[in-house]
Formats: sequence, C-alpha cells, structure tokens
Amino acid sequence: MSNISLLLDGFSVALSTHHVLIMVGGVLLGLVVGVLPGLGAPNGVSLLLPLTFSMDPVSAIILLTSMYWGALFGGSTTSILFNIPGEPSSVATTFDGYPMARQGEAVRALTLAFSSAGIGALTGVIVITLLSGWVANFALRFGAAEYFAVYFMAFASFIGMSSGSPFKTLVSMMLGFACATIGADTISGESRLTFDFEQLIGGVSFLVAVIGLFGLGELIMTMEEDLTFHGVKARLSLREIGRAVLELPRYWATVLRSALIGCWMGITPGGPTAASFMSYAIGARFAKDKARFGKGAPEGIVAPETADHSAGSCALLPMLALGIPGSATAAVMMGGLMIWGLAPGPMLFTTRPDFVWGLIASMYLGNIIAVILVLATVPLFAYILRAPFRIVGPMITVVCIIGAYTVASHTFDIWLALIFGVAGYVFKKLDYPLAPFVLAMVLGDKAEDAFRQAMLTSGGSASIFWSNGLVGTMMALGVLLLGLPLISRMLRETGIGLRRKALPQQREIGST
Amino acid sequence: MEISRRTSEIATSAATALIGLIVCYGALENGIAWEEAGPSSGFFPFCVGCLILLGSAATGAQATLRPTEGQPPFLDGERARAAILFFLPIVAFAALAVFLGLYIAMAIYIVYAMYGPGKLKLATSIAAGLGVAVVNFVIFEKLFMVPLLKGPVLNAVGIY
Amino acid sequence: MNLKLGTAAALAAAAIFTVQAPAAADWKPDRPVEFVAAAGPGGGTDLFARVVQSALSKDKLLDVPVIVTNKTGGSGAETFIHAKTSGGDAYKLFFGTQDAYALPLANKLSYSLKDLEPVAAMTFDPFILWVNPKASGIQDVKGFIEKAKAAPGSIKVGGAKAKEADETLMTLIEKAAGIDLSYIPYKSGSEAAVQVAGGHIQANVNNPSESVEQWRAGVQKPLCVFEENRLADTTVIAEGMSWNAIPTCVEAGLDIKSFAQPRTIWAAKGIPPEALAYYTDLFKKVAQTEEFKGYMARGAQIPRTLTGDALKAFIEQHRATYAGYYKTNGWLKGAVD
Repeated sequence: MSNISLLLDGFSVALSTHHVLIMVGGVLLGLVVGVLPGLGAPNGVSLLLPLTFSMDPVSAIILLTSMYWGALFGGSTTSILFNIPGEPSSVATTFDGYPMARQGEAVRALTLAFSSAGIGALTGVIVITLLSGWVANFALRFGAAEYFAVYFMAFASFIGMSSGSPFKTLVSMMLGFACATIGADTISGESRLTFDFEQLIGGVSFLVAVIGLFGLGELIMTMEEDLTFHGVKARLSLREIGRAVLELPRYWATVLRSALIGCWMGITPGGPTAASFMSYAIGARFAKDKARFGKGAPEGIVAPETADHSAGSCALLPMLALGIPGSATAAVMMGGLMIWGLAPGPMLFTTRPDFVWGLIASMYLGNIIAVILVLATVPLFAYILRAPFRIVGPMITVVCIIGAYTVASHTFDIWLALIFGVAGYVFKKLDYPLAPFVLAMVLGDKAEDAFRQAMLTSGGSASIFWSNGLVGTMMALGVLLLGLPLISRMLRETGIGLRRKALPQQREIGST
Repeated sequence: MEISRRTSEIATSAATALIGLIVCYGALENGIAWEEAGPSSGFFPFCVGCLILLGSAATGAQATLRPTEGQPPFLDGERARAAILFFLPIVAFAALAVFLGLYIAMAIYIVYAMYGPGKLKLATSIAAGLGVAVVNFVIFEKLFMVPLLKGPVLNAVGIY
Repeated sequence: MNLKLGTAAALAAAAIFTVQAPAAADWKPDRPVEFVAAAGPGGGTDLFARVVQSALSKDKLLDVPVIVTNKTGGSGAETFIHAKTSGGDAYKLFFGTQDAYALPLANKLSYSLKDLEPVAAMTFDPFILWVNPKASGIQDVKGFIEKAKAAPGSIKVGGAKAKEADETLMTLIEKAAGIDLSYIPYKSGSEAAVQVAGGHIQANVNNPSESVEQWRAGVQKPLCVFEENRLADTTVIAEGMSWNAIPTCVEAGLDIKSFAQPRTIWAAKGIPPEALAYYTDLFKKVAQTEEFKGYMARGAQIPRTLTGDALKAFIEQHRATYAGYYKTNGWLKGAVD
C-alpha cells in the first residue's frame, strides 16, 4: 500500500530530535492552556502562530497540532475535576466524569478518560492513514441535505435516551435551540431574538453558557449541599492509575463502538462535539446497567472521550483536503497554513506529501506523548481536590469569570454566565436534564442552516432529503435511532397502560 | 425561610413559559411563514417558542396536580443562606469587574472569600488575593498575551 | 487600602503625563498593539490581519508585540462598535473590508463611519465568477447566461452570508444579464466553494484565493473576473490557464466593470494625529515587504495601497456605490449620511 510507504516517509520527517522536542513542548503548553478555561486551544494556537512565522511549515504544524492534542486532554481534566468543560467537545465527559471524581475516584476517572482518549486518537490516525485518498472525495459528497442528515442522526440518537420527565427534556432542548438562534441569521442576514440589544448581535457564546450552567451552577450546588466544606478524599497512588488502565479492556465494546462513531463524525461534518454526545447516548443505550449512567459510570467516561478524540483526529483530514475547518482551533491552524504559503485543498496531498504525511506521522507520536505526559499529571490534579472546597471554590469562581470574559472580551458575558449559573443550579435541583440543552445549542443553528440551505437548493421540495443513497440512508438511520426506543417503550408500556409520554418527544423532531 | 418543591417547580415553569413567549414575540418580528423555498427566518424560532410554552405548561400542570406530601423541600433556610452567601459575592465580583477591571475585582473577591467564609487569617487572605491577581496577570497578560479588562485604576498607574 | 491606592494612582498618573508630553511629537507604541479582525479565525479578514502581523514581526518593523483578536458578531459589526467605544485608543487597530461602512447601511447599528478613522486600504481582492464545469455543464459566461435564461432560478449561486458583498454581486449579475438566479448563503466563501466543487450547487462568486485549489483540482472553473482589466499574474495555474487568461466580465459579455473588495485598516476616532501618522507610514512599509507581496500574489490581488486623502475620497465614493446597490435591492436600513 502506497499510503504505508508515504507514512514511513512521514515518520522519517517527524522522528527527528528537533520535532520530538517540539511535540513535547507543544503538548505541555497545550495541557496548561486546556486546563485554564480562560485560555483554551484557540487562544493557545493564536499565541503560538507568530512563533511559527519563521519556522518551516512541517515543524510549525507539528507544534500547533501537538498543542491541540495537549489542550484536548487538558479540557477533559477540568470537566472531570470541576465540571467545567474546557472545550465544547468535552461537555459529555462531565456527565459521568465529575460524579465519579466526586465519589473520591478522581484518579480513576482521569486515567480512564486519558487512556480511552489516547486509543480514540490513535484509531482516528489509523483511519486517516488508510483512507486519506478516499476521505477527501467522500467529504465532497456532503451538500446541505447531507449535513442536515448528520445532525439529525446526532439528535435522534440523543432524544430516545433521556430518562426524566419528557416535558422537562423538551423545555431544556428548546431553550437550547432558542439560545442558538440569538444573533445574526446566516440565511436571511437578519438579526433574530436580539431585541435591538447590541450585546446580543454576536449571539450567546456556547462556552459562556457552559461555564455558567455547569461550572457556576455546580459551585452553587456544592456550596448549598456541602455545608461542611470537606475536600474530596481522593486516593492517590500510582497503583490506582495502573489499575484504571488495566480496567479499560473490559470496555472494549464501548471503545470500539465509540471510535467508529467518532471516525464517522470526524470525516463527515458532524465534528467532535456531536460525536461525543452521540457516543455517550448510544453508550447509555447499550449499557447493561442504564441507571448508573450520569452517576459515575466508567462507560460514560470512556464513550465520549474515545469518540471525541477519534473525531478530532479524523476532522483534520477534511480540513486539509477541503479547507473547511471543523472547530475554532482548526480554523486558526488553517489560517497558519495559508500564512506559511500552503493552501489547504485537494491538491495539498500531491503537492506537499512531506507536509501532509509528516503531520500524520506526528499525530501518532504526538498523541502517545500526550497520553504519557497527561497520565503523569494525574496525581497533581487529583491533589487539588484534596484542598478544602471553601478555598478551592472561590478560585474556580475566578477561573469561571475570567473564562466567560475571555471568550469575546465582553463584560456582558460575565453577567450572562451568572444568569446561566443560576439557571443551571435551579435546573439541576429540579431534574431538568442539561444535556439536551447543550446539544441543541451546539448543533441547533447548524442544523437549521443546513435545512434551509437544502430547501433553497431544492426550491422548497423536501424530497432532497432522500434524493440519493447517502442522504437517504442517513435519514433512515436517524429515524430508526429515534423510533427504536419509542417503539420498544410503547410495546413495553401498552401492556401496563401507564404513562405514555412518547408523543412530545416526537414533536421535538418535527421542529428541528 | 423555606421554599417547597411545588412552588419552585411552578415558578420555574412560569419563568420558562415567559421565555417561550419572548421567543415567540421575537420570532414574529422576523416573519414566521413557510415560503415557497423553505421557511423564513422566524419560522423555527416560533416553533421553538411554542414548544417551550407547551413543555412549561405541562410541567407546571404536573407540579400543580401531583400530591405534595413527602417531597423534600426545594430549599430550606440554612441551605438557602449558604447558596446566597456564596452567590452574592460573585455578583459583587462581577459588578466590581465591570467598573474596576478584572484584576482588582478578583483580588478583592478572593480576600473576602478567604477571610470571610474561608476563615483564613486576614494576612493570609490578603496575600492570597494579591497572589491570585498577580498570577493571573502574569499568565494572561505576559505569557499568553490575552488582554483582560484592566479598568481605570490600573490604566491610571500605567498598566494597560 | 483603596484610598491609598487611589492617591498612588493619581501620583503615578501625574508622573506619566509630565514625562510623556514632550515626547509626543515622535510617537511610537510602547506596549502591545491589538489588531481586531472583523472575521472569525481562518476568514479573509483574519488572514489579512495575521499576514500583516507576520510581516511586522519578520521584518522587525515594530518592536512591540502584536495581538490579533477576532470580533465577529453581527458579521463583524462588533469590531467597529468596539472601535466606537474605544475612542482615541492608539493601541487598537481594526481590520475589515468595505464592511466597515457597508454594514451600517444595511443594518441599524450604533456606530457610523464618523466613529472610525481610516488608516489604510492595503490591497484589493478581485471577485471571480466560478462554476463547476462537470456538474453544471457550463463552460463560459455565454453558456451561463443561456442556461439561466432557459430555466429561470435553476442556477444556484453560493456565497458568504446574506445581503453582503457576494449577494450584492449576484444581484448585479442578474441585472446586467437580465437573468434570474437563486442565491444560497453559507457561513464562508470557502464553504460555498466546496459546495460548488461537490456539485451540490452550480456557481459561486468568490475571491480568487478561496477557490484556487478547487480550480487546480479541476472541480471549479473561473468564467470571468469582475475587473476593468485582466489580472496581472501570468503564471500557469490549471488547465494551462493563468489568472491573466481569465477574461474580464465585460469582455465575456457581462457588463459589470469593477467589484473589488478593499482590505482596510481603521483606528478609533480621536486617535492622536502623530500615532495615525506613525501607523500610516508603518503600513506603507508593510505593503512593500516580501511577506505581504507573497500574500497578494497568492490571492491574485490587485496591489494598490491607499492612505490619507486618497483613501478618504475612495471610501466616500465606494460607500455611495454600495448605498446605491442596497437601495435598488431594498436592503437599505441604516442612515446614508
């Protein structure tokens, strides 16, 4: 296979001492940036970009991507320890990672997250290596209707799983849609739901909402519940890390399934955030013990982390081949590419194989280095949890407020984060699920744009959603994902004749 | 002071219903028709607003009809006090940040939080407050060059 | 403690003012300068700002660091609103296109051109009409017009955002050729280009750099360039054609003379004149660097740098042109004067 020989050439580029040092430096910096929600990967890449102006493009991209891997791992750290997702794609990790850490098993949670993330990333890179020629052409087949079908599948897989009151799920998801709508509309250019407030024309930032709902909301919750302000007694031995790593093979089915979902969502325009949510939802559905999901189930950590990182790696390929970045960080990197004089596009693979394959080779190494380094930091992070909460709590508050501000340098965002904080606290106390809100906020406007673009393309005919095999199959899969739990629930419940609440959930779909 | 679960459920669903109304009203400004080539820009927001209203109404109805005995209260006095004592200083922090800049605000907030609820010594608290501000200043302004809000006081002493 | 701090601050401020006053004539930035880009990372304006940043650092034209930030809200209006609120700040520069003065025409916004001080227009990005030759079967402008006339509305033209440059240009094409097209807005120009390359829509209007790679791969073909003269570059790019080989739209039978997009730099109103002079001079130097020339060449841009009165006159005229376009399209919402 020619790809393998190209990869070996790539390794000869990436394996120099110089490049390995760059990887280590990049990963370390990424970890720092990822752990501080006020910084985050896009800021890290922006910061490093000027440094790369005088580097050769291969070293430059290795530095930037290594930092990106580090930041992804760092983002999971704060999700698990403080319920603050550093990146949108690590939101799903909070659902089970944080409860597990609160039960005193922070080391186990972190180790599980990091090692499954490493496996996910490596799967992604292997897929890239084997399919690089094919993926670019495949991605070109995605028009607006196909985009919509991908988002539809993500929603469909998520809706069937929620356990609580279907009306609360409905309210939560629709509020997420409403937040995603605020700001300028892509299709008409009009501003929506801004009510002439200039602070709102940029829309409500996802990170601000998440910092409030998850970070601040959880802080208030903890303060209220835990009047004695005890620190979490985390066990802290190296053996603990080893035990958690050895635990991983037990979840091989979850890992495999999540890696596949991740690769699929990375190659298609779904992206890492949708991948992690979808994988979490499907993981919950397949789990033997469904009730433990959301209360610290190990599969609930493994599933989103694996999918997130395999999608993150795979998503680099469409970026290089089409010039369409899948995330804010990828967008900054792509800007870098153009400044170095490289143009992302279908021809990059033939004109600069040293660059593309050097990058792919560095992804193998960079991720392995990242896993090793990040596992080494586990005891350090877990130690923070030992400090009494009355001391750590205000520090996290400061981090949250800075984080909300740095998203767009708006003081208004600080107030928004506080409002979301109260909302998160009340919602959590009253058992409103937050996951549908977050999913709708991330994918809502994208799904709407894709739907309306598809309708414009077809001149208003809905037949575009089954006009070819690809989009038809995805829509059918989506309907199946949506229908199966409802059907099985109805079959189960018709006998008992109890609460038939499937109806409102079907209506949610009608409006996406 | 004690808030029952029922009251809080109803209040929350009333609040979400209000948001639903606002969303519907906002969507009307954009036009909610389904035109020849697909929906206009207010169509989806209007549906979303209606569904929020529907969900809120159902939640509110459930809370009203469900028997209240045996439910733990939403908040009792002591817990409410703890939550409010934690949250109000954050609001003050945010207000200070808008007028005095983030660094000064975070220093004041940390000094208060360490000395008051944190029960540390005054000297330690002041050191912690200054430390947090300085560390953040170095990280954001110097190392990562992400400018945070500095406010008039720092500007006046020549720090921009 | 606060009181003491206040006194100290006042003292320090007094000290700074007395020291700085005599040195004002020879102004130079002594702390980091912020470049605010009115587009998200990877967008045209963001790239422009970062190329200027890289030229400044590579050629050591500026001793202080440059920070690039993005304020993208309201199609970039946020950037210029920010300019209004940071009146007189000599350490913030704002990067955009004609959007700086076109946005307040189509939207009700709290800033106007009067809140901005133009510094430079560094270069001009031409626009090109592209099609997917295989999927659409269109090979030239004649075929494009014929096809559009045969089935009105059947040709879907993609572009970045709604009611901005791309859609404006499409309405101009419709009027010039007497045809009916359907416009489909995407988040960015590159996204529209990929949709054309994938054969999902038939055509798009774009800056050269956003589609050049698709052209090389044979999935997009340039029909004509919206300029009075052909582009200068004669290096062969694809199919034996260079930028220079693309006919102008007037040559090809589409009467639209010029639709170039200026890459502009602004300061907040009230910036000290000596600072303005310093930056004007600085960006003139940037335009001459290898770094910036390489950027212009890659994007097949028209190297024309405007500053001072020439820039002001250009803005006045360009703004009036846009006001005219928006008026005929019925998009005019803001004040014209």
